[in-house]
Amino acid sequence: MPTPAPQFPNRDSVTTIRADGSRPFIYPADVRGRFASARRISAYALIAFYLSLPWIKINGYPAVFLDIAQRRFHLVGLTFAFQDLWLLFFVISGVGFSLFFVTALFGRVWCGWACPQTVFLDHVYRPIERLVEGDAVRRRALAAAPMSLEKILRKALKHTLFVLVSAVFTHLFLAYFVSVPEVWEMVRHNPTEHWSVFVFMAVYTSLTYFIFSWFREQVCIVICPYGRIQSALTDDHTLAIGYDAVRGEPRGKSGTAGAGDCIACNRCVHVCPTAIDIRQGQQMECVGCTACIDACDDVMTRLGRPTGLVRYDSMRAFGGQKTKWIRPRTILYFFLLLVGASVASWAISTLRPANIGVTRMVGAPYILDDVNVRNQYLVRLVNKRNSPADFVLRVDDAPAGIRMIGFDRPVTVPALGEVVQPLILQQARAAYTGPFHFEVRIEDLARSFHLERKVDFLGPEARLLRATEAPKK
Amino acid sequence: MKQTIPESSDETLRPHSYDGITEYDKRLPNWWLNTLYITIVFWVGYWSYYQWLGIGQTEAEVVSIAMAKIEADRLSATTLDDAALWKMSQNADYVARGKVVFEANCVACHLPSLRGKTESPVAIGPDLTDTKWINGGKPTQVHELVMKGVLTKGMPTWGPVLGAKKITDVVAYIMSKHREGEAIVVEVSAPPAPTP
Amino acid sequence: MPAQKITLEFNDKVVRQFLLATILWGVVGMLVGLLVASQLNFWQLNFNQEFLTFGRLRPLHTNAVIFAFVGNMMFAGVYYSLQRLVKARLASDFLSALHFWGWQAIIVAAAVTLPLGLTRGKEYAELIWPINIAVALIWVVFAVNFFWTLARRREPSLYVAIWFYIATIITVAMLYIVNHLSLPTSLLHSYPIFGGVQDALVQWWYGHNAVAFFLTTPILGIMYYFIPKAAERPVYSYRLSVIHFWSLVFVYIWAGPHHLLNTALPEWLQVLGMTFSLMLWAPSWGGMLNGLLTLRGAWHKLRTDPVLKFMAAAVTFYGMATFEGPLLSIKSVNALAHYTDWIIGHVHAGALGWNGFMAAGMIYWLLPRLWNKPLYSVPLANLHFWVGTVGILLYVAAMWTSGITQGLMLNATTENGTVLAYPNFLDTLNTIRPLMLMRVIGGGLYLIGFLILVYNVWQTLRGAQPVNGTIEVFEDDGQVPAEARIGLLGTFFNPPVVFSILGVGFACAWMFGQEALSIAGLVGAILCVIIAYVHFASRGKTWADWYERLLVNTAPFTILTFVAVVAGGLIQIIPTVVSHNAASNEDRKQIPYTPLELAGRDIYVREGCYTCHSQMIRTMVPDVLRYGDYSRLGESIYDHPFQWGSKRNGPDLARVGGKYPNIWHLRHMEDPRSISGGSNMPPYPMLKQRSVDVPGLTPKVNVQRTLGVPYPNWTPEQIAARVKEQATVIADDLRAAGAEVGADKEIVALIAYLQQLGRAEAVRASTAKSAGDE
Repeated sequence: MPTPAPQFPNRDSVTTIRADGSRPFIYPADVRGRFASARRISAYALIAFYLSLPWIKINGYPAVFLDIAQRRFHLVGLTFAFQDLWLLFFVISGVGFSLFFVTALFGRVWCGWACPQTVFLDHVYRPIERLVEGDAVRRRALAAAPMSLEKILRKALKHTLFVLVSAVFTHLFLAYFVSVPEVWEMVRHNPTEHWSVFVFMAVYTSLTYFIFSWFREQVCIVICPYGRIQSALTDDHTLAIGYDAVRGEPRGKSGTAGAGDCIACNRCVHVCPTAIDIRQGQQMECVGCTACIDACDDVMTRLGRPTGLVRYDSMRAFGGQKTKWIRPRTILYFFLLLVGASVASWAISTLRPANIGVTRMVGAPYILDDVNVRNQYLVRLVNKRNSPADFVLRVDDAPAGIRMIGFDRPVTVPALGEVVQPLILQQARAAYTGPFHFEVRIEDLARSFHLERKVDFLGPEARLLRATEAPKK
Repeated sequence: MKQTIPESSDETLRPHSYDGITEYDKRLPNWWLNTLYITIVFWVGYWSYYQWLGIGQTEAEVVSIAMAKIEADRLSATTLDDAALWKMSQNADYVARGKVVFEANCVACHLPSLRGKTESPVAIGPDLTDTKWINGGKPTQVHELVMKGVLTKGMPTWGPVLGAKKITDVVAYIMSKHREGEAIVVEVSAPPAPTP
Repeated sequence: MPAQKITLEFNDKVVRQFLLATILWGVVGMLVGLLVASQLNFWQLNFNQEFLTFGRLRPLHTNAVIFAFVGNMMFAGVYYSLQRLVKARLASDFLSALHFWGWQAIIVAAAVTLPLGLTRGKEYAELIWPINIAVALIWVVFAVNFFWTLARRREPSLYVAIWFYIATIITVAMLYIVNHLSLPTSLLHSYPIFGGVQDALVQWWYGHNAVAFFLTTPILGIMYYFIPKAAERPVYSYRLSVIHFWSLVFVYIWAGPHHLLNTALPEWLQVLGMTFSLMLWAPSWGGMLNGLLTLRGAWHKLRTDPVLKFMAAAVTFYGMATFEGPLLSIKSVNALAHYTDWIIGHVHAGALGWNGFMAAGMIYWLLPRLWNKPLYSVPLANLHFWVGTVGILLYVAAMWTSGITQGLMLNATTENGTVLAYPNFLDTLNTIRPLMLMRVIGGGLYLIGFLILVYNVWQTLRGAQPVNGTIEVFEDDGQVPAEARIGLLGTFFNPPVVFSILGVGFACAWMFGQEALSIAGLVGAILCVIIAYVHFASRGKTWADWYERLLVNTAPFTILTFVAVVAGGLIQIIPTVVSHNAASNEDRKQIPYTPLELAGRDIYVREGCYTCHSQMIRTMVPDVLRYGDYSRLGESIYDHPFQWGSKRNGPDLARVGGKYPNIWHLRHMEDPRSISGGSNMPPYPMLKQRSVDVPGLTPKVNVQRTLGVPYPNWTPEQIAARVKEQATVIADDLRAAGAEVGADKEIVALIAYLQQLGRAEAVRASTAKSAGDE
């Protein structure tokens, strides 16, 4: 099929959607420069971080091990029980809010520097492609070339590597939930023994492969909501990658009289991974990857002109005014971030190494026998520590003469385990004057913490109890 | 903004304008259209599998089979006839495990000695070591009782709390205090209302 | 022939009225939302007042936000854009005023009746029957005003926004009328004519499509007008408008059963619900992309223009919600998420993000134009946006976490999958309690943002003079030439319509036909697709030409839209009504309620217990382990209305009967926390004071009999005697357990009702097979 010439980017259409709806594959040219280097370093650090977490052991567990099967979560040496899962809220909202804050100041830096999509694509898959198929010109030529042995070999090699790399990434992701040894165990066994996991991994790996080998910038342009939200979160003082039109326009070859600094070499367009022209202003597709900055700086340096024709700056600054960093909005965000961080720290500080639940046994709310009124509860003790713990339970604020049955000795709860035991309270009919509240309190033998629960003791209306007793006598 | 923006494109607008609103007539990515086709094909396949050809199990079948498995797990204990439970009560393994469960859950009412009211008048539960039984003294009857409880008396339904295996263990432990074939007395159980 | 040029003044007064009503009811709806969200965390906020309990206020919140806030916003947007898009003033000032005041009167009536406990007991369809009739009438007023204006248009061709408005008007009318069919028992009470599974299907056909045709299509129409206007950009793609409009209105209707996955709903309906929900993804995103790519050309203005900010974010949230929707419709995901806060989070991503932000964008854009004065403060509008987005972030983060946490806990098992890890529902509830607080904070921030809008509007309107838009037109503009009329024949006998109808017909033959017919249907459908493709590839121009002609023909366009939306409903509802009734059910059949139990059930409905308690044990092992054997279709067949529920803030009650003694229920109603520590249920001590309306039971029993519940022809005395007999037994039992309650009190009736839940007679599994197999 003949490939129409790539459309030059414009404001009216998306470059990666051709008039017939097909998608031109983008071959961004190589770019070198200070931002490219810095991004590479940070990306490799992030990838190393991602890959190593399941391997690093802290307190005997992987640094991140979200063990849903055993209903516990290990995070950098801390162990959380299922009952603590609500803290995930602080992770989600914290990440989201930090994104807001950072975006208000620096624009879409997340997209360009830290998003897994960009990090893996620009620093793993594209380098592999570069290695196997050569630079942009050769890649484009190879794609256009008729089928040949070399083409088949190169393509096969590239896609094999892509599949392999995808499989490694997805299996390590799985390891976050089942731990590395378990993943290894499953890999070595027949898929039929863990069919659902196998199918999930097959789909997940294929999807990863598809996204990074073909789909690429379409994720950012069409699918991803965060990029758009981030665009909406910018303002005139927000840092963004832009083109200094004051300095650059009108464009013209070097030496043309009256021409600005832009020599219309279009390097910034050729290096762009989302196929836009940054000189047309802020656009939806821009993921802030900095390639155009490096490309333009390179050209400017060679021409002996100052760099920064394309640069990180606020729209204010591009318009010749000053960028305000401290503005009502960033103050508000900072304040909200402080509040959020304080609440999160407080919430985490309220965590105890144990959890207690007191629920009434299913059935009658109270039981009357010949001499007593009785209430029965089930107490659930959760030990979140990695070692067995002895818990002591006592009942406070109950009227005198209440008899507590169960928990007469300390209860040993295994490491990261749960114990459910009955607790029974009874009061002599004669002493009974009506329902009352009491408090169940647990602490460990070392008294390193204590936990309380308010509980109700129920019974009949005292008047009716007496009335039913009277005729008996 | 004073920068010149090349807006040149060969895009043609549709001739019509509504209150000044004009329209292009561009295509969306083909892959987007393909997702629609894929979901349609998925519908055909899914309907065929579950409804047309009837290969897939219905939800009711799936859950019934799963529950039957769980039930079987329970039954493997209860249909174990009395003889088997007696046998377990002779098995040190079962008894030891049962003792652990008993001490965690049952001693509150039945006391560690299992002797309940016989040992102490203030105890809540009846004696489990004597030959008098309120709800039947065959091992299977005991098992059933632990499973379902006696709500009016305060004996909880342990089935959902402990599960079948632990209940079998604990019954083995209780029956280890008895001998097969001993004479038992069954008292008529109390009327089923929480009346004093 | 030189035509007379005239200046036309638009009726913008009614637009201003609706716009201000939007703001007013927006504040009210969100305040009530904040209160009910807080009640979940602090039961004390039920204030021990029966008309302030969660069960009664939650319907007020949903109705206020949907029908008052979004409703008024929709009318404002439709009336503003319609007049301009068709170059005609609204047809009747009287109808416009009637529409406005009638709608506000309905809202006030709802705000009074719902807290009083006057309800039909069906979600988003709670309003009582006299108000239903008023809603239907006012909707007809709207429709007449709308189509009359269309008839007088000076712009022959209908713009895409108008297509969406047409779909909205006819579909909402259809949904509303069918789901509100009732038989009154008194001036203030009625029973829906559908019961059990039929009612469930009709309800969610309505409920889902209320989201589709009340919260989505009109707003898409508004998007198609206001985004190109605000961005000053051409719409990205006309052909995309065509594709996504028709696929959206056709597919949406089928997806209702995804609210009833894994329930007793016949499986063929569940399969349709799930697969059509997946099909809905692409059409929904078609709308999102058309809005987004239209905005794309004005992306650089996003930084400064709050209107564009709100609209870009709204479209993005629409995209997120319509991605999440199909995901949640996958049975296995639904098994985790259904009945949990995840669903509430999903809905609010749409309501706060899509509806709320589109409303804000529209309001900020309209204000200067309707009052001829610049917006008081652009920075404040930006602040509204920033506070609002933080609010949504916190809200959605809290609800995702909460839903997933509770879903995982409820479904967790131990002992090899035979025992629930958390057998007590309270264990899971207490875990997510902090998140309920976070959600209040998120919602609170969103409301603060909206109050900033209110202040901004107030300041803008001070001293401002309302101004009506004008336009210069030629008097004979927009005459549709006779040759452009397509007539009935032209409406149906053209390639796109013929192929579509044949294709759907063949597909239905395949799905529902017997063996030979089924195979013929499959072959036919495949051939139809191939021939249609070939025809389109070679003669596509005729398709496009026909469609251009259709756009100048209002009535044929409306008829075809109606055909598209009616198909899914007919195919799902008719077989259900015909075949899934009391005579043919699964292996169990409900035993009709005694009069006392019926009285108790009406109290259950009145108090909105269904807002927190489901009565539907799903075909899932954790549900069965927790609540008992899964619910059968036959077990609720006499329930008018059905009470399967959609959210579990408390445990399922389908088989709660007999699980606890009467005294447990009494104590639990008086003070839920004395029985269940940590419960967030409101206390209901008033049920011990109020007496059952025994005479009122006679018409209720009679209506139920008319609806097919096998009640004998009791006299009022017989009913009273039965009530007394059963109530006395319960009161005596309570007394014996140590509690004194009058036998005539409502609590006794409610206990009677609760204690029989799950009671059914076993019947021979005669027609347990689904209609799809027939």
